[in-house]
Amino acid sequence: MLSRRKFLGAAGGVAGATAVGGGAWAALIRDSVEESASTPTSTTARPATTTTSTTTQPPTTSLPVGNRVLVLVQMAGGNDGLNTLIPASGLYRDARPTLAIPESELVELGDTDFSLHPSLAPLSRWWNLGSLAAVDGVGIPLQSRSHFKSMDTWWSGVAEAVSTTGWLGRWLDATLTGDPDPLRAIALGGGAPALIGEQSLATVIRSPQAFQLQTTPGTDSEALIQAFLSTASPLNADPYLALAQQAIPTTVESVELLSQVFSDSSDDTSDAGRGPEVLFRSAARIIDLGLGTQVITIGLDGYDTHADQLSRQSNLLEDLSAGIAAFMEQIEVDGHADEVTLMTTSEFGRRVVENGSGGTDHGQGGVQFVMGPSVNGRAVHGDLDLTDLADGDVRTTVDERSIYAEVLDWLGGPTDDILDGAYERIGVLAA
Amino acid sequence: MDTRSEVAWLARRAGWGLAPGELDDLTAQGTTSVLEGMISPDLNGVSASVSPWAEFVVVEDKENPGAQGLEALSLWLEHLAVTQRPFEDALGWFWHDHFAVSASVVKDLPTMIRHLDLLRTESMGNFRELIRKVTVDAAMLVFLDGATSTGTSPNENYGRELQELYTLGIGNYTEQDVRAAAIALTGYVVRRRDGWNVQYIPNRHDDTPQTFLGVQGVHDVDTVVDAALDHPAVPGFIAAKMARFFLGDVSSDVIDDLADLFSAESLEIRPMARAILEAGVAGESSPIVLAPLPWLIQAVKATGAVIEPERAVTILRHMGQQPGQPPNVAGYPGAAAWLSSSTTALRFSASGVLAARTPENAPTLQAAAESRWDDLADLLVRPEGFSQSTIDALSELSQPVGLRPGESRLALALASPDLLIA
Repeated sequence: MLSRRKFLGAAGGVAGATAVGGGAWAALIRDSVEESASTPTSTTARPATTTTSTTTQPPTTSLPVGNRVLVLVQMAGGNDGLNTLIPASGLYRDARPTLAIPESELVELGDTDFSLHPSLAPLSRWWNLGSLAAVDGVGIPLQSRSHFKSMDTWWSGVAEAVSTTGWLGRWLDATLTGDPDPLRAIALGGGAPALIGEQSLATVIRSPQAFQLQTTPGTDSEALIQAFLSTASPLNADPYLALAQQAIPTTVESVELLSQVFSDSSDDTSDAGRGPEVLFRSAARIIDLGLGTQVITIGLDGYDTHADQLSRQSNLLEDLSAGIAAFMEQIEVDGHADEVTLMTTSEFGRRVVENGSGGTDHGQGGVQFVMGPSVNGRAVHGDLDLTDLADGDVRTTVDERSIYAEVLDWLGGPTDDILDGAYERIGVLAA
Repeated sequence: MDTRSEVAWLARRAGWGLAPGELDDLTAQGTTSVLEGMISPDLNGVSASVSPWAEFVVVEDKENPGAQGLEALSLWLEHLAVTQRPFEDALGWFWHDHFAVSASVVKDLPTMIRHLDLLRTESMGNFRELIRKVTVDAAMLVFLDGATSTGTSPNENYGRELQELYTLGIGNYTEQDVRAAAIALTGYVVRRRDGWNVQYIPNRHDDTPQTFLGVQGVHDVDTVVDAALDHPAVPGFIAAKMARFFLGDVSSDVIDDLADLFSAESLEIRPMARAILEAGVAGESSPIVLAPLPWLIQAVKATGAVIEPERAVTILRHMGQQPGQPPNVAGYPGAAAWLSSSTTALRFSASGVLAARTPENAPTLQAAAESRWDDLADLLVRPEGFSQSTIDALSELSQPVGLRPGESRLALALASPDLLIA
């Protein structure tokens, strides 16, 4: 076993150059995005109403801000909000002759006008505890029905211009002290552009089970890994070769430190269910390891349900709720429940009216969930009005950046600098 | 660049690497001849185009449903390692990345194979005809829901991506254009119980004339494809995508020239492809980060490593690039993903496996054992040699007694930053 300090030492010459590397990295990600002629403007989100079913207020945590962890669950493809958080409205059933969830299967949410999709039943425990809230009609003005344009808007938090950095990457930059630590932000299940900063680094772990540096029998593993590190320094003058070099020490360090997450046999993860659950269980272990990780993203996909939506979304939401439940139970057992806020996002909601393929096409306003100790739970925030649609879509009544603002406040800010504007706080999290 | 570097560039960037000895042969042949052989294999005496799946027989195996998919994938990987028409296969791969049809959605092997064969055989034909064929291809009709889109309930999935991802790029169409295309393209079904054949059913089609991209009277596949492909954004959009794929970060002047050529040649792909390769050997390109598939195939060719198909597919899946299964409709991710911790760790682990499977008499293994670093780099299609940091790391790496001489060093060379950059 190599110590963390040894790896940091080996990486020392490289870490100092990451300001350049981070920018070039961001440029690589952005190279396919066309220029936009519009200029950034500071905006204030429009007011949004709050539909609160109860006045239950969980105690506000007094935990030091620096120990807090945000878990961002990204449901790629555009989750259908109307079949996730289901309104008690005849208009919903009229628009969804084959896709409406039968009333007998709904999971009721207290005395709100909404119910959960049956696959989300495991989440009702946290609803009842007051640590789960839903937000309806959420979106970002100027987002598009294009997956990629809309995702760009969501991960950057910038609607009016092209941004090379993500909203969480800018927070990581703003709160950076010393050399960038790639373990402050970990992307599970695939890369997360929201984490791209100018200086900060993130660790991407696509498959937790395969995140190892394996050598074949007979190899002097330590010598080969040290030689691998040696190929990374000094940095080559060719910027492309330098990028390839920079990935090596951060990888070696991350694998070494996280090997405990994925190899600890005291709690068997080999039977941890389908793919998503492994990611959620890995997130809980990373938090328990105490490596200074402050942001974890979990990448899920498949939510683009243009066809066969009933069965596909049912399976997806079942995986999601099983993963979230496993995660929440684990952090409760480990004593970290008061340190963690979890939120889901998806790049848009879907059309109100179903299409002819047993699915729904791309729409606008969507649904998200927020969970954690500071959440004003047992409540549906935002507004849904099926008599007032925007071009056949759920109207965006909550600017997602209001939610970003509340989460960034909880993480300690500086929120308005990061979002380049003072977005209204609508009270999803206790101030 | 000298001739050796020029043909090495072609082999790394527009081909699938080289086996030992081939770089000598190509250098003797000369850059122009090599380039022409890649661009116009039929006119240059190269053996005829053969499908990777020419010998593939579909067998129902309910006990082991994944076995056939694995066999199809391994045939593809083997084909790429020995193809005599490397650029045709490289462009076929480019179009697979462009259209991004996934077997995880299509779920019928023969249909997926027909789709991939279409992309390969049409890879240097006319782009308008390619789009026309892909639009009514069974795999695409299933992938983006055209097969369930009807006049009474049009599905917008293909109508949108046809414009956003396949021909125009975002900003060149409106939501109204998405709807108009969706309506005009209705009426096709895929007969799953009849060999997944495509059938047009008039009473599922809405023939109402639409205004699409400013063109009136658009009502069917031909009029949709023509209106889209007549749009002035097409040449620049496709030229930029293809140029960046093969040339990396190139100037907008290069892309503009390619777009003008593509337009002047009525969207024929071959002349533009030739111009791209000519620009590359003329030095008008930047380095690129190799994606996992070309990295793996190039390593296998250079070393002669014998690796089970299951293992190769597992490696590619964990590195984030399983052939036939792009992660989403935008295709495989780009350079940042291939520089990620996940892919880097897998590259290291896979390099060890490849070195261990390299035959005893392989020139790469011998060069590594004898510390002939320039020879090793040349065998790995880097005639310019390794970077100094990689040479230093190779030189300092001891050779453990439990392994064949050169094995650890070959593993390190394959995992090195030098091999990731092409």
